[in-house]
Amino acid sequence: MAGYRRPYRPSEARQQKGQTAPQEPDLVPIMNLFLTIIPFLMMMITISVSLMALNFASDAGGGAGGSGGGGGNQDKILEIHLMLRQSESLELFPGMEIREPGSTIHKLPWLSENVYDFHSLNDLLARLKEKYSETTEIAVVVHPDVLYDTLIRTIDLCKTNGFVTVHYRSPQAMYAY
Amino acid sequence: MSFNSKTNKGRRQVRRKVQDSKQLSITSLLDVLTIILVFLIKNVSMEAVKISELPDMIYPTTMSTDKLMENAMVTPVKLYMHKVLLGVENLTLGTPKDIVENQETRRIMEAFFLTDYDAIPEDKKREACLVVQADAQLPCGYITQIVSVGTSVGYENIYFATLEEADWLRTYSSASSQ
Repeated sequence: MAGYRRPYRPSEARQQKGQTAPQEPDLVPIMNLFLTIIPFLMMMITISVSLMALNFASDAGGGAGGSGGGGGNQDKILEIHLMLRQSESLELFPGMEIREPGSTIHKLPWLSENVYDFHSLNDLLARLKEKYSETTEIAVVVHPDVLYDTLIRTIDLCKTNGFVTVHYRSPQAMYAY
Repeated sequence: MSFNSKTNKGRRQVRRKVQDSKQLSITSLLDVLTIILVFLIKNVSMEAVKISELPDMIYPTTMSTDKLMENAMVTPVKLYMHKVLLGVENLTLGTPKDIVENQETRRIMEAFFLTDYDAIPEDKKREACLVVQADAQLPCGYITQIVSVGTSVGYENIYFATLEEADWLRTYSSASSQ
């Protein structure tokens, strides 16, 4: 029959494939990668959270009190002396000595070997904060043989009682035992 | 003929043209993991790695803690009872005793701090931090030396690494009364 033309349509061949389940991308390798990375990252997070830093204004210029740090008149701030050795002549005793800017000295001997009276220090610092409410500075004079743990606990109590600017000092005079 | 509802007789069986996929769909799990991954990557910084907790060191505990300065240039120093390690590379300096007694060791330490400090851009020098990670049972004389050398080089911020313990004072008191 002349003049008959088949209407245009997509190739029939493409329609002849049988229906199959929709193809999902293979996510298993990605999952493997994620499951490897996540425990590693979580481990790092746990570490960084459990470790904290305690900062302070340092003016330990090599033993002689030094300069710099938080500024202000450092001769007129409270001082906490941390000592370990006993010496009558040098007026040293194992424990803590808190010196007020005037002449008042509070002595807190240790309770037993390497057990300092932090409870009394905490109470004393709270009272001193009420007395010197305008200052936030305090100096910790630490003798070389005092344990690092004692120093950190002392600085910590200073900070929790409102003396947030802590100056770190070593004794001005060296001494022989 | 009565219809018995308890039996499968007479129930019409439907056959599916496409068989169900037996694979577990992990797309939703992948979504959750992606969210966790983004959150974790955001929280993990390189500075945290620099001051990571060392398993073989006993840290002192504190109630108050300070956060490390943002974008701080950190130089870590690790003081064990028997060795001193410098920087992220953990370069062995010697023993803590060497810091006090050996002038050459102090000179090497100063040179290291100076190199690290000089590498910091001029506009970020005020944010340079020296992070001291020391064993709780170490005498403070060694810490004083580190602090002294650090401040002489120019570090304005010195941090002590501690572990947070909110009620150490109560525990300490009870321990001392025993």
